[in-house]
Amino acid sequence: MKEPAVSAAAGDTEQLERAYIDASTRVPVLMFYTSAIAWLILGTLLAGFVSWKLHSPDLLGNISFLTWGRVRPAHMNVMVYGWASMAGMGTAVWLMARLCRTMLRFPLLLVAGAAFWNVGVLIGVGAILLGDSTGFQWLEFPRYVAVILFIAYTLMASWAVLMFRHRRGDQIYITQWYLLGAFLWFPWLYAAGQLMLFVVPVQGVLQSAVGWWYANNLLFLWFGAIALGTAYYMIPKVIGRPVYSYHLATIGFWSYALFSSWTGMTRLVDGPFPAWMITASIAATILTMIPVATVGLNHHLTMKGYFPLLRYSPTLRFTVFGAMSYTVFSVIGVLISLRSIASYVNFTEASIAYSHLGLYAFFTMVIFGSMYYIVPRLVGREWRYGSLIKLHFWASAYGIGLMTLMLLAGGFLQGANLENPALPFSESIETVLPYLRGRSLAGILMTVSHFIFAYHFGLMLLGLGRTSTVPTFLNPVEAEISGGH
Amino acid sequence: MKGLTPLFLGIFGTFAFSWIALTVIPTWQIGHLNPESDEEGTEIYPRPQSGMFERGGHVYAANGCVYCHSQQVRADYAADDIERKWGNRRSAPRDYIFDRPVFLGKMRMGQDLANIGARAPAEEESPAPAGAASPAAQGAAASPAGAQKASPSSGSSPATAPGGSPRTLPAATSPPAVLQTSPVPPGQPIGGASPSPGQMASATPGSSPPAPSAQTPGAPWPIQTAGLPPMYSAAWHHVHLYSPRSINLDSNMPSYRFLYEKRRIAGERSADALQLSGPDAPPEGWEIVPTYDAKCLVAYLMALNQSHPLKEARLVGGAPAPAASPAPAVQGASPGPAAAGSPAAPKK
Repeated sequence: MKEPAVSAAAGDTEQLERAYIDASTRVPVLMFYTSAIAWLILGTLLAGFVSWKLHSPDLLGNISFLTWGRVRPAHMNVMVYGWASMAGMGTAVWLMARLCRTMLRFPLLLVAGAAFWNVGVLIGVGAILLGDSTGFQWLEFPRYVAVILFIAYTLMASWAVLMFRHRRGDQIYITQWYLLGAFLWFPWLYAAGQLMLFVVPVQGVLQSAVGWWYANNLLFLWFGAIALGTAYYMIPKVIGRPVYSYHLATIGFWSYALFSSWTGMTRLVDGPFPAWMITASIAATILTMIPVATVGLNHHLTMKGYFPLLRYSPTLRFTVFGAMSYTVFSVIGVLISLRSIASYVNFTEASIAYSHLGLYAFFTMVIFGSMYYIVPRLVGREWRYGSLIKLHFWASAYGIGLMTLMLLAGGFLQGANLENPALPFSESIETVLPYLRGRSLAGILMTVSHFIFAYHFGLMLLGLGRTSTVPTFLNPVEAEISGGH
Repeated sequence: MKGLTPLFLGIFGTFAFSWIALTVIPTWQIGHLNPESDEEGTEIYPRPQSGMFERGGHVYAANGCVYCHSQQVRADYAADDIERKWGNRRSAPRDYIFDRPVFLGKMRMGQDLANIGARAPAEEESPAPAGAASPAAQGAAASPAGAQKASPSSGSSPATAPGGSPRTLPAATSPPAVLQTSPVPPGQPIGGASPSPGQMASATPGSSPPAPSAQTPGAPWPIQTAGLPPMYSAAWHHVHLYSPRSINLDSNMPSYRFLYEKRRIAGERSADALQLSGPDAPPEGWEIVPTYDAKCLVAYLMALNQSHPLKEARLVGGAPAPAASPAPAVQGASPGPAAAGSPAAPKK
C-alpha cells in the first residue's frame, strides 16, 4: 500500500529513483510492446477476415491457408499469445520493477524471452494456417511450438523470481500479489494442459474438460490477474490517493484465486460429463460475484470524488472502462452459465461475446490504459495528439460495446431458434446472420482504433512525441485539479 | 501482506485445488472406461477406429470444423437435440473413449455431427462383417473406393451390418430423421411432392441402389435434388464439402475445394469422381476427385455414430422401435418438419 500512497508530493529523491527505474526497463518493455502491437494489427486484420467470411463464405475460400477454419484459430492465437500475453508481460515487467523498487536487472533474460516468444507465436500461427492445428481451443499450436513458448516463458519467469529476490522493502503491494500469481499460474496451467492433452493424453471427453479448464483459467488466472493487478496500480497512481481498503483487496484477491479457477466446466454444460463437475463450476461462477463485488467496490470507493478526472487522463479512462467491464464480464458469465439459460446459449455466438468481453473490454482496455501511462516514461516524450487518444478510446469502446451487443442478442435469438425443433436448423443461422454483419461493422470500428493506436505508438517510438513536462490530456485542463497523469 | 511464503502457498494451493478437483478426480472417475459388450460378449461398443478415421480427425482439426460443429447430443430433459433428431439418446463419456482428439465443440453454426454417420442411407452393397473391421487392416487401405466402402460399415457402425443384433436401432437413425433435420434444398418444398419417407423406411439394404451415381437421377430419396447423391452418403458429403451452396443455397459453410483435385479424365471416368452439376461441374473431359485427405475426412464423418445403446444412456422413448415400423411413414405424411408427434421422442 505504501507505493501508491506516495504521491507526486513526495521528495525529489523518490521521483529521481523512479525515473531511473523506468529508464532501466526501457528496452525490454518497449520490445514487448512493439511486438504486441504488431501482433495486434495482424490479429485485427485476421479478425476482420474471419468475421466477414462468416456471412460471405466464398471470399477467398479456395485457398487452403485462408479457409475460415484455419484463419479463425490463427486470429485467436495471435490475439491470445501475440497481443494479449506480450502486452500483459510488458506491463507486468514494468510494474514489477517499480514495485520491487529496484533497477531492472538481467534485461537479457527478458529480451531473449521476448524474442523466443515471438518466434514461437510466428511458427505456431504458420503451423495453424498450414493445417497443423491440434483442434483444442487456445491450445491449437502444435507441440513443437509449445516447447519454444515454454523456453521463452521460463526465461521471463526466472527474471521475475530474481527481481523479487532483489526487491527493497517488506511490503508486497496488491498489484504484486496478482502479478506473482499470474507469473506462477501461467506455466503450471500451460504445462498441465500440454501434459494432459498431448504428452499423456487423458481419455475421451476428459480432453475437452482439460481444454476448457485450461482456456478459462488462462482467461482468469493469467489475463484477468494481470489486468486486475494493473488496475490496482494505475487507478490510485493516477488520482494520487491510496487504495480505499487493503482488507477488501485481500478478500478480493483470495476469493478470485479460489473461485475463478473453478469456472471452466460451465462451457461443457449438459455435455457428456458427470453432473457434479458442471454444477461445481456453475456454483464457482456464482461465487465469483464475491471478488467482483469487493474489487469493484474498492475501485469505486478509491475513485469516489475523483471521477471528473476521467475527462482528462487517458490512462484513467481506459483503466476504469476496463475495470467496469470486469464487472459486466462476470455478470454475463454468471447469466450464461445458469443451466436454464445455458441450454439456450451454450452453442451460440453468446459465448464468443463472453470471450471478447473478458479479453478485450476488460483486459485489453486496462492494458491500453497502462501503455498510455508507461510509454511516455520510457521514451521521455509525451503522447503527441490528445485527439488521437480520444479517437482510439471511443472507437474501441463503441466497437467492443456494439460487438458484444450484436453477439449477445444474435446468440440469444440463435439459441432460441435452435431450441425450437419445429424450426429447421437453417433458421437459427439465418437469424444470426444480420447480427454477424453488425459484428463486422463493430470490427471495422475496432480496426480503426487499433491502427490509430499503432500509428501513435510508432510516433512515440521514433521520438516524435511532444517534449513537455505536462502529460497529454484528453481535454484541455480547466483547473489544476489533476495531480497526476 | 507480509512475507512471500503465505502468498506463494496460497497461489499454489488455489491452483492445485482447482487442478485436482476439475481434472484429476474426473480422470479417476471416468478416465478409464472400457467398451461395453452385451451378455454374449459378441457386440462390443465402442470399437477402436480405423487409420482413415484417425487421419480424418486430423483433417477435421486442421480445417477448424470444430469451430462450427459440435459432436454431442444433450439429454432430452436439458435440451431439444434429440427432438431435432441429432441422436436417439444423450451422448455419454463412453462414446468417446477412442477419440483423440475429442471434438465436443462449443458452437452450432452448423449441425451437430455426433450421429452424422448414422444418418447415412443404408445402401452399402456388401457391408463388411463387423468383425472384419480391424483398424490396422483398414488404416493402410488407400484404395480409391476406400472412403465409400470401408467407412460406414466399419466397426463403430453395427447398424449397417446385415443381421445385426435385435438391439440395433434403425428407427431413430433411419432416413426419416433426415427429413426433419436437413436444410431444405432450394426449390424443393417439404412434404408436398416429395416421395413419402415411408418409401425410405422400407428401403432395406438389399433393395436400395448399389451405389449413388449420376446415372440414377430421381432416386427415391426424400428431399433430394435430382442428380445429387443420397443425402449423407459418402458421395453426398464429397459434393457438400466441395460446394456447400450447390446443396443448400443459404449455407454459410466454407467450401473445401482445396481438398479436391481437378484432373483430365484418362480413359474411364473415376469411380469416385464427384457428381457435380451446374456451375460447379468441371469442363468436358475433366473430373473432380477427392484427395486422400478428403476421403479420410468423409470416412471420419461416416463413422460418427452414437446410435448404439449404452447402459448408462437411456434411449429416449424406451424400447427401440422395430426397423420396419409403419410409424415413420405415417408421421412422414405430415407436412413440414414439425416434430410434434415423433414416436421416438415423446414430448417432455
